[in-house]
Parts: sequence; structure tokens; C-alpha cells
Amino acid sequence: MAQKSFRQALNEALHFEMARDPRVIMMGEDLTGGAGANGVKDAWGGAFGVTKGLLGAFGPERIRDTPISEAAFIGAAAGAALTGLRPIAEIMFVDFAGVCLDQIMNQAAKFRYMFGGRAKTPLVIRATYGAGSRSGSQHTQALHSIFTHIPGLKVVIPSTPYDAKGLLLQAIRDDDPVIFLEHKMLYDTVGEVPDGAYTIPFAEARVARDGKDVLIIAIGRMVSVAEEAARKLAADGISACIIDPRTTSPLDEDTLLDFTDKIGRVVIVDEANPRCSVATDISALLADKSFDALKAPIKLVTAPHSPVPYAPNLEDAYIPTAAAVAKAATSIAKR
Amino acid sequence: MSTIEAVTVPKWGMTMTEGTITQWMAKEGDSVAHGQELLEIETTKVTNVVEAAASGILRQIVLKEGTTAPVGALAGVIADQAASQEEIDAFIASYADRLGASGDGQAGAVAPRAIAVGEGVINVLETGLAGEEAVVFLHGFGGDLSTWLFNQAAIAETHQTIAIDLPGHGASSPLAGGDDLLARIVTAVEAALEAVAPTRIHLVAHSFGGAVAAVIAASQPQRVASLTLIAPIGLGKTMNRDFLTDFIAAERRRPLLGVLERLFADPSKITSDMVEGTLRFKRLEGVPEALTAIADIIADDTGQRQSIAEALAGLKCPVLLIWGDQDHIVPVPQAADLPANAKLIIIPGAGHMPQMEAASTVNNAISENIKG
Repeated sequence: MAQKSFRQALNEALHFEMARDPRVIMMGEDLTGGAGANGVKDAWGGAFGVTKGLLGAFGPERIRDTPISEAAFIGAAAGAALTGLRPIAEIMFVDFAGVCLDQIMNQAAKFRYMFGGRAKTPLVIRATYGAGSRSGSQHTQALHSIFTHIPGLKVVIPSTPYDAKGLLLQAIRDDDPVIFLEHKMLYDTVGEVPDGAYTIPFAEARVARDGKDVLIIAIGRMVSVAEEAARKLAADGISACIIDPRTTSPLDEDTLLDFTDKIGRVVIVDEANPRCSVATDISALLADKSFDALKAPIKLVTAPHSPVPYAPNLEDAYIPTAAAVAKAATSIAKR
Repeated sequence: MSTIEAVTVPKWGMTMTEGTITQWMAKEGDSVAHGQELLEIETTKVTNVVEAAASGILRQIVLKEGTTAPVGALAGVIADQAASQEEIDAFIASYADRLGASGDGQAGAVAPRAIAVGEGVINVLETGLAGEEAVVFLHGFGGDLSTWLFNQAAIAETHQTIAIDLPGHGASSPLAGGDDLLARIVTAVEAALEAVAPTRIHLVAHSFGGAVAAVIAASQPQRVASLTLIAPIGLGKTMNRDFLTDFIAAERRRPLLGVLERLFADPSKITSDMVEGTLRFKRLEGVPEALTAIADIIADDTGQRQSIAEALAGLKCPVLLIWGDQDHIVPVPQAADLPANAKLIIIPGAGHMPQMEAASTVNNAISENIKG
């Protein structure tokens, strides 16, 4: 099977679905390579190179550059979805979603509920997230907890190229608004991705590694950190199972509870800030429904409750590490 | 003269390069019997048990629990009482040299490749040295070339081997349904084989793959040197048709796990990697329809639709049938349904997947049948 990058996998999904369904359109800043590219269209394929080639294949009617006006174009995309198109809106950094929370939180997320189920809002908002690229506090947050909190939104956070393609195709075909989060540091990671089209259902966690001593639940980019930790743990004779929820809303509660019941020791790894987060939400779920199976306290490995630092050494210290995950797992493995 | 035997880190699957010793099931000084479960090894894809390849005393554990070592590394030494500690030390030292001398840093890791055939591509995984004969592995309905995880590398020690993803499975293109579907599957497989191994071949096939292999053997008797069929369809009418329909319907991990568990006498053999790998090809567009079409030519309301007995009876080459006595998908057929020229081995305690559940027994049987 072909080896492709996370970026290529996303590009393939966009290409495939735009070719299959003429209702799919895209809008966002610099999607076509606009400003700074000496007038050469599609020079970059967007700020992160994900949309390269789409302009040439589908034309400016369907691939639209927008001004720096997230509130306006997210609102326009939500409206377009209501009228029967299937828009994909790109917010360059998820941190900028703050200025369009009314469109996302008060409008798109509510349409189905407020119109008695008769309104469809097939809107996908793609955005980058995450620390590690020296981009400063306002370009590096992990905000999936905020969107997960809002009923009416679906939240997808892939960790592999394979999942990126299958989950994006599923997101575009979904009739509800989907927040699709791409970690900037994952774009160049490579993995097996089929050439053909496929979808991965939402609320379907992936068991990334079998193990019997400790269950590590890891979100987004933290799956690769958990895998590195699992290799360290194996060398110490501790067998770690890793589960990637893939979507935080809806959440595959059954799989998380099944494996908690089976293993009894849990570490949750998330790059987001810890307060009122997906990590604490999952922890509460497990404590509520699998308490009798727990053999040790649930451990959380997250970023600190602080903005993302700009200083490289502090930013590195901010991001959860494999050593921290291994330490947490070891602390409960023998209890 | 003393006998000293090595216990090594095996190669499960062609991409395995190392394993971690998670548990020794015998202590130094224990007597062990050939085939006895000796140690458990964990890889990134699978955890499985290594059986003792010889009887004797577990004289020395070389790799302690928790140690990660490359494929082929010496994990322990089985020897009789007559072997001196000096002899065992020399054996261990010589083994370190042997491992290093292979010059294969990736322990023979290989990748599959796609072969263009008339209606798409056929995915093949090749290993072993090319020679005058090749061993070809064909999986069953719903499987893929990883069905041969515990077999291909073992057979590749003596032969060129080719494991094939049948159309609509693994990374091979799906085919549309039709009355001639089996013939088109055979044509696609033969086209791929012509490209990778235009030699004499030994066919090793499981379940539905058995029907494909039988057609190939009957149409090319001069080319097929032996046939080893594991729980093949086509030798009786009885089968669990619900397995086929439930397999196609299972779109998520949990229900699919429930379906796959029916394949094994011991469901704990199923790994998450196996479930995820199966879901990967099931999710591809066109595959559910292709699987439905294949299921339709395997069985209907009255039972199995294929019959391979006549094709097998006409073969001059060795024909071996292997069955697990707890196979609830394609049960062991009645004696009257078996061709007279076929030898039958029934493995106790195995279900529909003896090549995974009793790998060493099946590997030995395949090797013997290949020798004729």
C-alpha cells in the first residue's frame, strides 16, 4: 500500500470528494496561494500546502480565497450549507475561531435542533492546532475541548495519515457541522494510505496497540507520543495498550469503557490545557461507569494550565512527552 | 554426543523486525517437550507463544523477560544433560556471530507490491529466494495476506513464497459480481502469478481460497506441484452462511470482533491489528459489494455452492487437506465427500484458522506436502 504524508492524505480526500460531489466547495484564506506568491495562483496550496492542485482541478468558483475575515466567511459557509451546498471552510489556525464563535456556536451548531431536525448543515471547518512550531501563543492552542463542549458540533482529531483521509471524507459527507482539527506537526508524518476512497465512521476509536498492563488513551498528535512511551514501557516489562478516540464528539464511550474494564489502569494524554478538558471529561466518564474496574487512580498527562510559551525551551516543556507518559504509566502499573 | 538446540525470536509476518520477551513459561532447568509452549513474545502487531522446537532441558535463558531483540536472536538454549556448560557457552557465542553475519539489519522486512492485472491490481507479498518452484498462499473469504502471518516466513526459509490478496481483499482491487466471478478471480490471480513466479508452484490455500486453488490446479496440472488446502470450501454442503453475511454487515470494530471470534477455537488469538486491518479493506468503496458477490458464489440458503472434489480427484500431485476439529465455519466434511487421493490431517483444538492456531503443526504439514 502506498506511503503518503498526512498532508497528501488530506489533499486526496478533498480532491476525491470535490470530484464526486459538485456541491462541495472550499473557502478560506490563501487557499489558492494568493498574497505573497507573486500573483502565481496555487503557488502554495494554502498556508500548509494541503489544498495544492484543487484550484486547477475545480476552478475559482469552487475554491474561493477570502479576506482575513473569519466571522464573515464562516457565517457564509454556514449559510451555504443550509442552502444545499457542502462547504469546507478553512481557518488557518484554530485560535482564530474565537472571532467566529457566534457563527459556530450560536448558529451552525443549533440549526438542526432549532428547526426540528429539518435543517441540514453539512459544514466542515478545517483548522490547524497544536504546539511545537514556534508559532506563539495565539497560533498553537489545542482547543478541541471547547468545541467538544458545544452540542450540535462533531469534533474530529486524526492522528495518522490513514485516519486523516477516511475521517475527512466522512466529515464532508456528514450532514452536521464538523470541526476537523489538523496538528501542524503531523503534516509531514507518513503512513500507509489506500489510493481509493474510504470512510471511517465517527465514534469509532482505534486500538493503536494491544497491551494488558496499562491503558493509554491519547488524543491527536499525542498518539505518537504514547506509542513512543509504550516502547519505553515495553523495555521495562510493562505492556501498554493505546486507544485513539479519533473523534471527541461523538465519543466512542463503549470502547473506552471496555478496555478500562479489561485493564483497570488508565493514563489519558492530551496536549490541551487540563481544566474542563476532553481528558478530564473522559476521566469522569471512566470514574463514573468503570469505577469498580479501576485498580489505580486515573492519571492525566496534559499541557500545564498556561498559554503556549513562545520561547523554544518553554514551548518544549509545555508539550507532554513520552517520558512523562511512561512515568505516569509506571506509577500505576504495579499498584 | 550432546544435542544443543536454539530457541530464537521468530518472524511473525514479513514486516516484523523485533520482538519483546514478555513471559517465559518454563524455568531454567525445566524439562521441555517438543511443541510445548515455551515463551510469549510481543511485537507491534501481535503477541504470540513460541513452542519448543526440540525436547530436552531448558538449560539457559539468554533473553530475559522485558528484553527486546531482533528476529533470529537467541532467546534460550535447550540441551540434554550431557551438554557441558562450556559447550552451551560456545553455542551462545557462535549464535551471536550467526545473527550478525546475516547482514540484514531489517531482519528481512519486505513490503507488498501491486501487480497490474486485467481488472485492476493484485497485491502480493514475496519473500524467499527465487528458485525453480514457488509456494503460493491464497487466503479465504474476508482474509488477506496477513492470514499467513505465522507461516510465510517459515516456508520462505526453503522456498520462494508469494502471499496474495484475492480481489476485493487487502489491497487488491474489487471485482464486480456475476456468474463468472470465480473464473475472473482465478484469471486475476493467474495473471499476477505469471508476473511474479512463472515457475512451478505449490499452492497453499485457505477456505474460499481453496476453491480458487482447485481451479488453478485443475487447469494447469503441469504447473502445480502440490496442493495444501486448509478448511477449503467445496467438499460438502454444510457451512455457516451467517458468518458471511455478518462479516459483510460489520462496519465497526466491536461487531467485527464478534464475527472474527467465530473463526477461532481460542478467540484470544485475535489482535486489534487483525481487526483494524480487516476493517481497512472493508471500508474501501466497492469492497462491500465485491464481498457480497463472493459470498453469493460461496453459499446460498441450501449451503455451499462450490464443489472441488472432482477437480481434486483428477490431480496427480500431492493433495493435503488440513482441518481444525472445532471449525464451525466450514466443518470437517464427511468421509464420502473427500477425494480418495487426498490426505487429511485433523488438528485437535483448532477452529477455522489452524494456520494461525496451530502454526507449527501446519507449517510442518505444508513442508512435508511440498516434498511430496
